[in-house]
Amino acid sequence: MSSSRGSLPRYIAVRTLLVIPMMWVLLTMVFILLRVAPGDPVTAAAGGKLSADEIARRQAALGLDQPLFQQYLDYLGDVVRFRFGNAISDGTPVTTLIRDHGGATLTLTIGAFIFAVGVGVPLGRWAGRHRDTIIDAPIRLLGIVVYAAPVFWMGILLILLIGNLWPSWPTSGIASPQAIFEVPTHTHILLVDAAIDGTYFWDVLQHHLLPCFVLGLLLAGVIVRLVRINVIQTMQADYVEAARARGISERVVVRDHAFRNALVPVVTVIGLQVALTLSGAVLTENTFNWPGLGTDLVDYVIARDYVAVQGLVTFFALIVVIVSVVVDVINALIDPRVRY
Amino acid sequence: MVTAVKRKLGALLGVSVLAVGMAACSDTPPPASEDREPLGVNYSTGDPAADSSDEWTLGTTDTITAVDPAGAYDFGSWNLQYQMFQTLVSVPANGSEPEPDAASCAYDDPQTITCDLDEGLTFANGNELTSSDVKYSLERNIAINDPNGSAILLGSIIDDSNPDKPVLAKGAVETPDDTTVVFHLNKPDLTFLKVLSTATASIVDEEVYPANKELADTDEHSGSGPYVLAQYKDGVQATFELNENYAGPHPGIAPRVYVSYYKDDASLASDIKKGAIDIAWRSLSPTQQQGLADDGVAVLKGNGSEFRYWVWDMNEGAGTEAAVRQAVAQVLDRDQISANAYDGTVTPSYSIVPPGFGGQKDSFMDVYGDPDVDAATALLEDAGVETPVALKLGYPQEHYGPNAVDEATEIAEQLNDTGLFDVTTETGEWEQYQTDYKKDAYDLFMLGWYPDFLDADNYLSPFVVDGGFFANGYSNDEVNTLVDEELAETDEAARDEIIGQIQDIVAEDVPLIPSWNGANIAAVGEGMGGVQDTLDPTYIFRFWMITKS
Repeated sequence: MSSSRGSLPRYIAVRTLLVIPMMWVLLTMVFILLRVAPGDPVTAAAGGKLSADEIARRQAALGLDQPLFQQYLDYLGDVVRFRFGNAISDGTPVTTLIRDHGGATLTLTIGAFIFAVGVGVPLGRWAGRHRDTIIDAPIRLLGIVVYAAPVFWMGILLILLIGNLWPSWPTSGIASPQAIFEVPTHTHILLVDAAIDGTYFWDVLQHHLLPCFVLGLLLAGVIVRLVRINVIQTMQADYVEAARARGISERVVVRDHAFRNALVPVVTVIGLQVALTLSGAVLTENTFNWPGLGTDLVDYVIARDYVAVQGLVTFFALIVVIVSVVVDVINALIDPRVRY
Repeated sequence: MVTAVKRKLGALLGVSVLAVGMAACSDTPPPASEDREPLGVNYSTGDPAADSSDEWTLGTTDTITAVDPAGAYDFGSWNLQYQMFQTLVSVPANGSEPEPDAASCAYDDPQTITCDLDEGLTFANGNELTSSDVKYSLERNIAINDPNGSAILLGSIIDDSNPDKPVLAKGAVETPDDTTVVFHLNKPDLTFLKVLSTATASIVDEEVYPANKELADTDEHSGSGPYVLAQYKDGVQATFELNENYAGPHPGIAPRVYVSYYKDDASLASDIKKGAIDIAWRSLSPTQQQGLADDGVAVLKGNGSEFRYWVWDMNEGAGTEAAVRQAVAQVLDRDQISANAYDGTVTPSYSIVPPGFGGQKDSFMDVYGDPDVDAATALLEDAGVETPVALKLGYPQEHYGPNAVDEATEIAEQLNDTGLFDVTTETGEWEQYQTDYKKDAYDLFMLGWYPDFLDADNYLSPFVVDGGFFANGYSNDEVNTLVDEELAETDEAARDEIIGQIQDIVAEDVPLIPSWNGANIAAVGEGMGGVQDTLDPTYIFRFWMITKS
């Protein structure tokens, strides 16, 4: 018993320490992949304009003529000191990018999560309760379709659809030009700033709805299927049978016994969907001209901007790793067997 | 209402399913190129500018590298700078020669320019603009030497004895008093006055801009142009307001202008169509232009200077044989390229210098005339070249837009149809593509060009002097000498004559084949005036000419 009591802090410590090799492997992979890919920031920007000599001179000015191992050591050294540097292609500090554009990605992903949970959980519960009925089949199909359909494809279809049905509904950008200019910056999260300022809130919210809905659909597909299968499994558990045997109504059995227990693994898995959401956000942002970090990442990959890509991927990786550690810890708190 | 929406949704889904099904089942091949009808876009003419204006919004897919003039060498950044900063001289809309802006400038001789600044010029912050600011602006641009910058254009006043640390050459810029600037160029250079009209020579306030460092995009920038940058949000939006202290020749009309940045032309087209923005400019693909025109949006077309061309690899392979290069030039049908690959939105090009530039002549038309397979056959036979000649065409996947593949395919079809060539096409992502063409992976490869300034030399020196910037192996001493001569020639007629001679030699040697010249296109919403007037080959979008009523 004493060893099990002491194992939780130890588990957390070990789990946290494991973040270091995880991050190291990831950063190394990013570094290698960027260098293996053809091209460099200079040729990407001005390769169709400058002579070979001028390109070489500019590469040297950026230190790209240094040995790869030296560049790698410099890169790791900067990461350890939390120095993300300035983007090569436009000189913007990566920390400024994260500060200014992270808010757009944050509101997009949180909005998508709210939609996904708000729609996915009730639908999954409903389908699970009515397994193999006319209610279950379309919900199950919907879950598969929205999960399998590429998020950008879904986005483009909805842009076309909404553009035809409600031409005035915004289908790109985060707000109208007037709102972007007029809303003062408090938090660098435009939706929050508009709410604080009390101006243009509906304008900004309106711009959020469609992108959040599209990204939320992707997540909702996962959640619907997950909730459904867990509700079905718990409905077959002995304690549910016992509840039924005691004459408790089916509605109460589902709500108080089956559904709540079914949610435990769902919460864990939803936490792990952060990585899926972030990758979906990259595509969603590009589809909706959304000024977030996903859009930046694509632009900087195209520009072969090593510094910006490395910085942004490190930031994304940190978020995913932190969330996964938190989820693991919560899991360990809920289920003591995890600690062993 | 709900029923109607349901009906629409149902109909849309039904049509989608039907369309997907038909597409999957159809075995009808797409029409061959000769069967395709060129679509063509019905371009509008646009309205003139009004006396007053509401605020308006421009949408563009251009990106911004830097707001500070020392840090940029791209259309997006330069167009911000043209609104905020003055230059000594500027090129008027649809003009080609620089006219006075902050100063009146003239050549004393091919190596000396004297500029007299206007009296009473101030920056938006109230600081006086003097000759010292002019010299300082050029000096810091050269000293900062940003890898993304355009200091390279100032070569005629640079001392690059230490290539890693270029500086303004000693005595290259003199400021004898507050309103006089004298340039002493290190070589005869009649294009330098045009360089002074570009954003690389933007005049910045020496009390605001650091000497060896760029201001951040979000810092407060202060120029003396017709507008001030009121807000800049990277990748999202730039907002301009009138400069109350502006004393130059072209004051702005609209009190505020928003520039919204887009990632792709589909969103740009969608927003101009629904009225979310007032102008969509740079860049709308031919497909989007067509779609907008069909939807009743006014699409305006002005003269452009975009140049698309195909470079022969003369280091190795089929391109080393002059007869092969000439035979291809002999059979290429540029009208069909324009019609089939670009819906007729581009103009066939018969010279490396686009129309409208001094000395331009259609040398390729003069030498080869209309496409002629018999003449091409004779060229190859006389040179003893065995046919079909295997050729590998290269083009970049995305860099020049979705129609590049159509152009490459059209050219391959045309050449293969002659029976003289066996052409295959290959593509690569832009980065890989550049590596490949430098390694002689293609016999003939596609490149595009926008000029830095409006002068025929900007289409000659970079392309035909010792292999050009693409190092394709072409070298002709006579061409090199003629280029030096035209750069130094002060007599306009004589210079045009030399430029014509260079084009003739290039048409004979065929180190590259001109394909087409692009236009300057904008789609505009209701009530916009003056847009047509600013659409010219400089690709400067002059906010001060635009009104919204």
